[in-house]
Amino acid sequence: MQLLFTGFGIGAIYALVALGFVLLIRAAAVVNFGQGEFAMLGAYLMVIGFNVLALPYWLSIILSVLLMAAFGVVFAATTYWPLRHRGGLPVIISTIGASIFLENLVLVLYGPEAAQIDGLFDAPGIQVGPVFMDSQYLSIIVVAALLVALQYAVFEKTLLGKKLQATSQDKEMASLLGIPVATMILITFAYSSALGGIAGILVAPILFVSTGMAGLIALKAFAANIIGGYGSIPGAILGGLSLGIVETLGAAYISVPYKDAFAFLMLLIFLLVRPQGLFGERIAEKA
Amino acid sequence: MKLLEITGLVARYGAGDVLKGLDLTVDEGEIVALLGSNGAGKSTTLRAISGLVANLSGGIVFAGRSIVGLKPEAIVRLGISHVPEGRRVFPGLTVRENIALGASNRRGVSRRQLAGEVEEMLGFFADLRRLEHALGWTLSGGQQQMVAVARGLMAKPRLLLLDEPSLGLAPLIVQQVFRIIADIRARGTTVLLVEQNAHMALGVADRGYVLETGRLLVSGRPDELWSNPQVRAAYLGGAAVAG
Repeated sequence: MQLLFTGFGIGAIYALVALGFVLLIRAAAVVNFGQGEFAMLGAYLMVIGFNVLALPYWLSIILSVLLMAAFGVVFAATTYWPLRHRGGLPVIISTIGASIFLENLVLVLYGPEAAQIDGLFDAPGIQVGPVFMDSQYLSIIVVAALLVALQYAVFEKTLLGKKLQATSQDKEMASLLGIPVATMILITFAYSSALGGIAGILVAPILFVSTGMAGLIALKAFAANIIGGYGSIPGAILGGLSLGIVETLGAAYISVPYKDAFAFLMLLIFLLVRPQGLFGERIAEKA
Repeated sequence: MKLLEITGLVARYGAGDVLKGLDLTVDEGEIVALLGSNGAGKSTTLRAISGLVANLSGGIVFAGRSIVGLKPEAIVRLGISHVPEGRRVFPGLTVRENIALGASNRRGVSRRQLAGEVEEMLGFFADLRRLEHALGWTLSGGQQQMVAVARGLMAKPRLLLLDEPSLGLAPLIVQQVFRIIADIRARGTTVLLVEQNAHMALGVADRGYVLETGRLLVSGRPDELWSNPQVRAAYLGGAAVAG
């Protein structure tokens, strides 16, 4: 039970990053290899706000998330927009380039030493029956659940959400209806970047904040996306959670050093046995 | 009054010209049919009017204003609604949501007003009523066509561009679609209709244009087109109407 709780917490991080990843695939057909860097930048902004500038914790969080949303727009304008008519591959290469650039930019500006950051709560956690719920893991799970609920409400219950969905399903048709497609795509980038940033902020107290955190988070989020079903929103959430649980259980019962290997082993098994993932593709082609 | 005036329109895709200097006018309140075989440039004409063709020269004037170079979003805001070939219903949205998004070109429509207008469309296209919560991809071709036209009308356009509305539909459904087109005009909307089914199209149209490989072959009233032997033989299925 204790392990499931921890796995769920880590999985929620992967799910948040995977969610941002999937949204960009759906809205702009962009496979963004900079998604892990969104998490890294969010964590570093938190370090700068709270540790360096000594701002209050809550203010650092708000500023970091807002800055990450703004950064999403800059990221879109520089890596996606100039290449948007050139097909998928040039944009993928461009996001890989951007991710390398961002990691090195942080190295130059902040330096190579890893930073540590306090958790959201001073209390270590609460005991519920046999499970000790660490306060940071608990906050991750609660915030992730709230974000998923918020996203569901926006996408399914508002006209903006419907316009975002329409844009992701058929951009040309959306433009013929007068939906401002460019604005919709920028909103998606901003939201996706903010989601990545929030994941980074939440995971920062558990991991050390370093430039290396980006790559591993991005790979896990990508794996979560494949396991859940490429391009599927519920798949990204379930894929992320199951990945977190599998690697935590694997680390506890089999081997700690091979923790990451369990996640990728799960990916390989899915690619062999069920390549369409848990949810497959919800939208079928129909003439 | 001229609502749409196209002069010397040239459209290019890749290496070749798809339209080679087209002239065409649509008067307010008319149904104009654009006919011709596959590859004649009919759909390209509609795409050019809607701002979907990047490589374009010549004039397109709508309601006294040049719209060449405007983005599709801007053109639909001026009052030109395009129901494209293949219906392009959003597969993952419901019928009701698809129709509601048709009003995206109009600002300041309240939620309540939008819901009322969708209700009105579901009244007009009665077959869609029981399907209002069905997802786009689950609909038949005919049902998708109804949704696409309803969505196009939600823009409250002055000019409705309809591309091959009968394509792939069963004959009974085709008749229903053409009845709807006549109803749309009766409501005061001007229609530019692209069709391969010339018999049906000229049955509702006031005037027709026949295109051949990007050029205008002949234009006129339906009876004039029917009596042109060249047109009849080549494009209107002459044998079927001979005698």
